[in-house]
Amino acid sequence: MSKTTRRTTMVGAVALATGLARPAMAQDATVKIGIIYPLSGNSATAGNYSKMALEVGADVINNGDADLAKFIPLAKGGGLPGLKNAKIQLVFADNQGTPAAGQNQALRLITEEKVAALIGAYQSGITLTASAIAERHGIPFVNGESVAANLTERGFKWFFRVTPVAIDFARAYSAFLKEQKAAGRKTDNIALVHENTEYGNSVGSVIIDQFKKDGFNVGTKIAYSANSSDVQPQVLQLKEKNPDVLIFISYTSDAILYTKTMKELNWKPGILIADNAGFNDPAFVKSLGNEVEGLINRSAFSAGKPGSVPDLFNKLYVKKTGGDGLDDVSVRGLQAFMVLADALNRAGSTEPAKIQAALKATDLPAEQMVAGYDGVKFDDKGQNTKAASVVTQMRGGKYVTVAPKDRATAEVILPYKGW
Amino acid sequence: MNRFLIPGALLALALVYPLLVQSLPVYERLGALVLLGAIGASAWNIVGGYAGQVSVGHAVFFGFGAYSSVVVYTHLGWPPIAGAPLGMALSVLLAAVIGVPTLRLSGHYFSMATIAVGELVRVLSSTSEFLGGAQGLGGPAIPRTVFDLSFLSAMPFYYIFLVVLSLLLLLTWIIERGRMGFYLRAIKDSERAARSLGVSAGRYKLYAYMLSGAFAALAGSLYLCMFGFVDPDSGFGILISVKMVVMAALGGAGQLFGPLVGALILVPLEELSNSLLGGQGAGLTFVVYGAIIVIIARFLPSGLLSLLNRRKVNRVD
Repeated sequence: MSKTTRRTTMVGAVALATGLARPAMAQDATVKIGIIYPLSGNSATAGNYSKMALEVGADVINNGDADLAKFIPLAKGGGLPGLKNAKIQLVFADNQGTPAAGQNQALRLITEEKVAALIGAYQSGITLTASAIAERHGIPFVNGESVAANLTERGFKWFFRVTPVAIDFARAYSAFLKEQKAAGRKTDNIALVHENTEYGNSVGSVIIDQFKKDGFNVGTKIAYSANSSDVQPQVLQLKEKNPDVLIFISYTSDAILYTKTMKELNWKPGILIADNAGFNDPAFVKSLGNEVEGLINRSAFSAGKPGSVPDLFNKLYVKKTGGDGLDDVSVRGLQAFMVLADALNRAGSTEPAKIQAALKATDLPAEQMVAGYDGVKFDDKGQNTKAASVVTQMRGGKYVTVAPKDRATAEVILPYKGW
Repeated sequence: MNRFLIPGALLALALVYPLLVQSLPVYERLGALVLLGAIGASAWNIVGGYAGQVSVGHAVFFGFGAYSSVVVYTHLGWPPIAGAPLGMALSVLLAAVIGVPTLRLSGHYFSMATIAVGELVRVLSSTSEFLGGAQGLGGPAIPRTVFDLSFLSAMPFYYIFLVVLSLLLLLTWIIERGRMGFYLRAIKDSERAARSLGVSAGRYKLYAYMLSGAFAALAGSLYLCMFGFVDPDSGFGILISVKMVVMAALGGAGQLFGPLVGALILVPLEELSNSLLGGQGAGLTFVVYGAIIVIIARFLPSGLLSLLNRRKVNRVD
């Protein structure tokens, strides 16, 4: 071995000089993917969990996983076969929770790190500014979790969004309530309680619109501040109106507060729905999971049957985090990464235009999904048309999937039991 | 002769800087960010530094500028920069409305009042549908004309910001040397003494506040043109006010070039520490950033420029 070193170096140098270095260097070539997440600031927890999820994804592609390889061709290990077995290298950047930092870091990843594509950036506003830079430089930007509707309305050619958006959530709830109505449960009087920033307002209004179309009546609508330290007035108001169905759109600390206050005032609706976020936070599930037995929720993550793609990925992820499983946010990030990896592999090149073409041609089946989507296929605006949410229910401190039927691992049990 | 040698060399360096780093877009952008930071901090300096009225709510004006720019785009289809004069005019009005009652307050009470107004406006803006609510508003996604100021490189922004900063510093310099400058410094030293000498303290503080607000609004408009997005936190967030104060204080509040020196240190520090350490996700960026601020504040409480002045004093001795 050592005898050849010198000669190989010489040949390498000559090849490099004559521009023939490619096949020689391909052996240990890497392809860089830039990732912009909130690694500090308000959403740092979510960002750091997503970071770990992507590291699991990259590890599966670079080093392989025998069980996953049965479903996902790229999980055989040894990098991307279509790209001369290039290994994936993740380059992380912190958006610090500000649109300015997100944009600055996007520029750095593109021009200094020379990444082939970008993934990010969690908060919708930051995704907006960061992807604008990618668009100007002609670098593909894959988004896994920002739901603001306008992101795909900008006429961008390099922006691809894998996540479902608010309308998909609203449809999932509406379909679920229709089933319950058919089964004879009361759904006449619906109350919507939402926190009053972007998330609560936008998702709330989309749900109301969709429900109206489907003939459901949202009679009570209560907006509150997620920072409030007392929600007794809101719960008393609910107790008085006594709706059949109550929907929460809340962050973590307010979700905890509502749960405790409802127990204190001893009031519960027949069906309680919570739109993810706070009610899915591991902190909430750990401390109060047993106080909200029967709570209906939505998630992009459904653990599925043992041995399925989500289940296998979840096991790897639990090993990585030391206990916490994949959740709605981390699984969407991981899914976005897998979509990009697949496109890079098919592009067979790190040339931006080829990656863009490959992303446009993406057509992944449901069997390969780690998130609860029906697959991945982008429309002209870059939105995944097969994105969907599953409906889950809290059972004994854990969420299980109850709808749609083909993904369900348990039957739904109603009415809401609570504590 | 010697007096102009160093400033002249620095100005020349500022003029050619983007050409030197043309192949390094991140550093080109960093130059523009430093100038933008310096514009905001220099605007603050007029009322906070010279007049000694420490406003911790200048984000109100910054946000007015940014939102004016994005609103004329969203609702009228104009290029965002066309909103700059509107933002400045509104800020002058707003400064009068806020200033008349609050500038009567002294010391910390004025600072507290400005924080309160800032937070109030931030919360209000997040509930206004016209302003895009908590979700914020974006500028033109794809440039329609050159007036949309959407460039691949940061170089045009750099020169625009350089011109604006130069004008602002020139104006500040004129004020500093004129009657108003003396009045403001007298007010800063002792408002009661200034009043007893016949200085109309209230009126001059208000002038300074209005002028300062107008330029902070211009900084906001320019920010929007460059980044293309504003939401309540990035427009009216208290961190924006704090950064203006810290930048000016670090370089030397109440001195012409103080804010620029502060921006020259803080902005690269912030960007580079995030680039180098941010990706690890350990929150190291702010630890390092904060530590350096603490060190400077401990050893040079009147700002970095005081180093220079100290040397001058020594020489005279």
